Amino acid sequence: MKDGRMAVVLLVALGVLAIMAATAGAADDSILKITGTTYTKWLYGTHRNDGSVYTFTTVPGEGYGDNGQGSEIELLLQARVSKQVEVRGRIHSRFNQNQWTNFGGFGGRNPALEDPPAGDCVGGDCGEWDPRSNQYIKLRGVVVTLTPGYSWINSATIGANDFGMFDPFAIGKIRYIDRDNASGLLFQGSAFDRKMYWDATRISLPRLWAGPNFNTGSFTGGDAAYGLQFKMVPSDKIEFGAIYEHVSDIEVQSNDTNLDDGTDVRSRFQNQVVGGKFSAHPDPKIDFSAAAYSSYAKSAPDLAPASFGMVGFSPVIAGRHIDATYKGDLSLNDPFDAGLSFQVQGFDIGANYVSMLAARRESDVLLTEGYDASFAFPGPNNAAFGVFGGNPSRIGYGGWDGTSHQVATINVDNEFTDFDESRAETVIGWRGVTIAPQFGKANFDLSGEFTYIDYSTNWQAWGDDTRSITDTDYPTHELDTGVGHNWRSAYAPFQEKKTTIGVVNAKYTIESGKGVDVFAKVKVIDETDERMNDARYLPYVPGDCPGGVDCGDVASNYYGTNTTSSYFTNPSYITGAGGVDGYQWKPFDDIADDDRDLSYKMFGLGAGYQLTNDFYGSLNGEYYNADLVDGNTALQAYNLHEMASGKHKKMKLIGRGKYVLGGAEIGVEYQANFGTFEPDFGTGFVPQVADAGIASSHNVPVGSLGFSGRYGGWNSLEKRVFQEQRLKAFMKVQF
Amino acid sequence: MTRKRWATIATAILAGALLAAPVVAQEASFKDPTGDDNGPGSYTYPTDAVYKAGSFDLTGFRIKERGKKADVAVDVNSTLEDPWKMGNGFSVQMIFVFIDTDGKEGNGFTDGLPGLNVKFAPAGAWDKCIILSPQPQGRVRSEIEAKVSADMRKAIIVPVKVKGAGRTLSATIDAADLGEGDPSTWGYQVLMQSNEGFPDKTDLLTRKVNEYEGQHRFGGGNDGDCDPHVVDCLAGDGLGDKAEIEAQHAMLAHECNDDGTSKKMAELTMAHVKK
Repeated sequence: MKDGRMAVVLLVALGVLAIMAATAGAADDSILKITGTTYTKWLYGTHRNDGSVYTFTTVPGEGYGDNGQGSEIELLLQARVSKQVEVRGRIHSRFNQNQWTNFGGFGGRNPALEDPPAGDCVGGDCGEWDPRSNQYIKLRGVVVTLTPGYSWINSATIGANDFGMFDPFAIGKIRYIDRDNASGLLFQGSAFDRKMYWDATRISLPRLWAGPNFNTGSFTGGDAAYGLQFKMVPSDKIEFGAIYEHVSDIEVQSNDTNLDDGTDVRSRFQNQVVGGKFSAHPDPKIDFSAAAYSSYAKSAPDLAPASFGMVGFSPVIAGRHIDATYKGDLSLNDPFDAGLSFQVQGFDIGANYVSMLAARRESDVLLTEGYDASFAFPGPNNAAFGVFGGNPSRIGYGGWDGTSHQVATINVDNEFTDFDESRAETVIGWRGVTIAPQFGKANFDLSGEFTYIDYSTNWQAWGDDTRSITDTDYPTHELDTGVGHNWRSAYAPFQEKKTTIGVVNAKYTIESGKGVDVFAKVKVIDETDERMNDARYLPYVPGDCPGGVDCGDVASNYYGTNTTSSYFTNPSYITGAGGVDGYQWKPFDDIADDDRDLSYKMFGLGAGYQLTNDFYGSLNGEYYNADLVDGNTALQAYNLHEMASGKHKKMKLIGRGKYVLGGAEIGVEYQANFGTFEPDFGTGFVPQVADAGIASSHNVPVGSLGFSGRYGGWNSLEKRVFQEQRLKAFMKVQF
Repeated sequence: MTRKRWATIATAILAGALLAAPVVAQEASFKDPTGDDNGPGSYTYPTDAVYKAGSFDLTGFRIKERGKKADVAVDVNSTLEDPWKMGNGFSVQMIFVFIDTDGKEGNGFTDGLPGLNVKFAPAGAWDKCIILSPQPQGRVRSEIEAKVSADMRKAIIVPVKVKGAGRTLSATIDAADLGEGDPSTWGYQVLMQSNEGFPDKTDLLTRKVNEYEGQHRFGGGNDGDCDPHVVDCLAGDGLGDKAEIEAQHAMLAHECNDDGTSKKMAELTMAHVKK
């Protein structure tokens, strides 16, 4: 597109809208309403990345960064054509790389003309040649709602929707960049004098992620999810509900040779979920609810991944699986009239529970606050695959703010978020109980949590000895090593894990001036994972590495010819630093070599004050101390990630402000994050010295100590010191 | 958790209880029956899953002066949740507490606030209104500046902070903002609405009531603005008797023209503490 053409198109589009609005206003000012929002963001950070105006994404080619300024505009259109018909839609500019530095979205490199290709467009460098940086606007959220006035149906909603009226365990609130990226048909009605409600839907499956391997194959036009939900409210004390979901990802039948009768289709992936819910409020002081879900999922092995290796990326497990999920809640609301309430929740989220359209983010299915989002990836600085060069921190040393919200899927979506947003984490496989007391009296609030989690993913060799450990139905994503819980990793080849979480939150408002909020928090996580707990899974026969000589490499088979030696190979016998001879890493000859033992403490203290009627500010300090044993050099964080065994100390100093002026809302968050990591990778190996090549590719000093792992990655043995500053400011205006 | 940590928690609870000891209190307290979160009798909740049953069912209201401060508390028939991460412990509720402090017929405002679509009987003309919203104080004030007449603005009190915990929303305000008088003698009307972050241009952060419920709209009303956009309120003497359900329905009764304009608006009365 030539210079200026986009601007002309924009002007024409806005002109047409203005004419439509004026015409509508002349006829009846209630027919068409146009409102809008603008959103402007400013990111600053010392990681010096400027790939896009988001702190985080894993979507290939999108770019992410902690520096940049950008703006977007959204026009919200709404028209009530008649009593029965309402139309809504949005015209919204792309935001990803719409940096101010693009100078209006002109010029830039043109990937279509590049030979050889110069790579992804990031940081707006493709200017007007990429819709993410050329201030492109696109139609979104088009929906027509019909309310025909028939007795058997209340409304039919045709088009864009977030389907938030369903259930986060089955059909959750669906969003991607927008809250209404999904589209479908939604029919809603009621019966028995509105004591019973029903919702029925057909959702066109998002080809972007809603199938094995994060896609829905080739023939996407016929892919859909179907949902039916009933809710019965016989009285204000009792409520029943039921939900059914069927997901069908189909492909054209390639061996259908008779096309005269049309073309057959076959299933690539199907998923069914059936659930029932019950809640009772027998007394104002008591609430009780329970829910149960059963899922069935099946992938065609020739059209979808038949299995995964040690690392796989997919929103669903491979193969055919049936499993269930249960949750029960009891709330005692101030039973002693003393301001003291209790919530108790029991949960069992099946290891093989699959709901393709379960909520991926922004829904919180469990009571626990889960893991802190500051530790989101395996490496000490939140790097994934950081043991290899060129894989820096993904979300920054500080991670995301605060705690996590839990979703019942491995299809977790934290894409296009900033560090100040809440992180979602998978709870697939979690089973346990949470007890959460809450006390409030006047200006003082005290709340807490005790959670115990066992895991239905506790198994050996993926729970199936008959298959190789590099042939599994379970995609592991980033694998679960490191201080925290990696947000979308639910599975590991060997697991025997237990987690205890304890939290105390206190808040007191000092009645001085407009009231000074003082808040404090203590959090403790105690976690153990024996991982491999049976010696027959050890990779090599006993005494295979006797010391002083090369290992014999005599594999031990745990079933048939299946052996873990295919992954946990033996070390070479080398001369390491200082001329000391020994093994390059510790031979995996003890089931304790992969043990995990986490002692985690977090302390927070802060204060906030309404400085003026329009401005609220707060200062907060958070100190994290984690003493972690996460396997030794025999495990090597599954050969793929930076090892995190050792002592972690992290401090986050956070200043926040929120200012409202007229119709503008302005917010700012500044963080200074700093800390240390002192590695303790155990014994049984000889450290090596980083040469110039390792120093260059892994950003360590020449001559520093470390060890080179099975896949050639480098784990430094030196103490690491982290410093990070970052800031996000935004302004939102509704008009 | 160690014994020492539990001891610390217990000490903190005790300290909090002591700090919360009342000074001298003038107070008013009301109850409202459960199951009347249907406005004039026909309203239904929006269909999004965040609107849990009982979320808009007002069950109690208390106001208590203690020294230079006054504590306000509103109870609902559901454990409060914060699905939109507003940061105050609740998200979906928004409550208007109208107060007739002088008891003089016709003295005060008989119009409701924008978006509520109600009037007040002259005998219960309101003098003050406390707004309990999960939105930041600045946002509420900004909306008031834009949508409320200048004389009414002065009568509106927006607490610096509103918190939700358990089933209770509460706030502390400066007693001076309420004016002189004994709160136990004042008239009160508590209107239950829903926090709407993207309100209509004339609505004060209130959620619409339409003929059919939508994902984020109440149903059972009218697509125009002739119906009271109030899901629950005090009625009768505010004792929580089941008879007050019918009293509420009668009070919120209204009539609409075919084009959605009002023929007869709902007219509200005040509840007084039964002596």
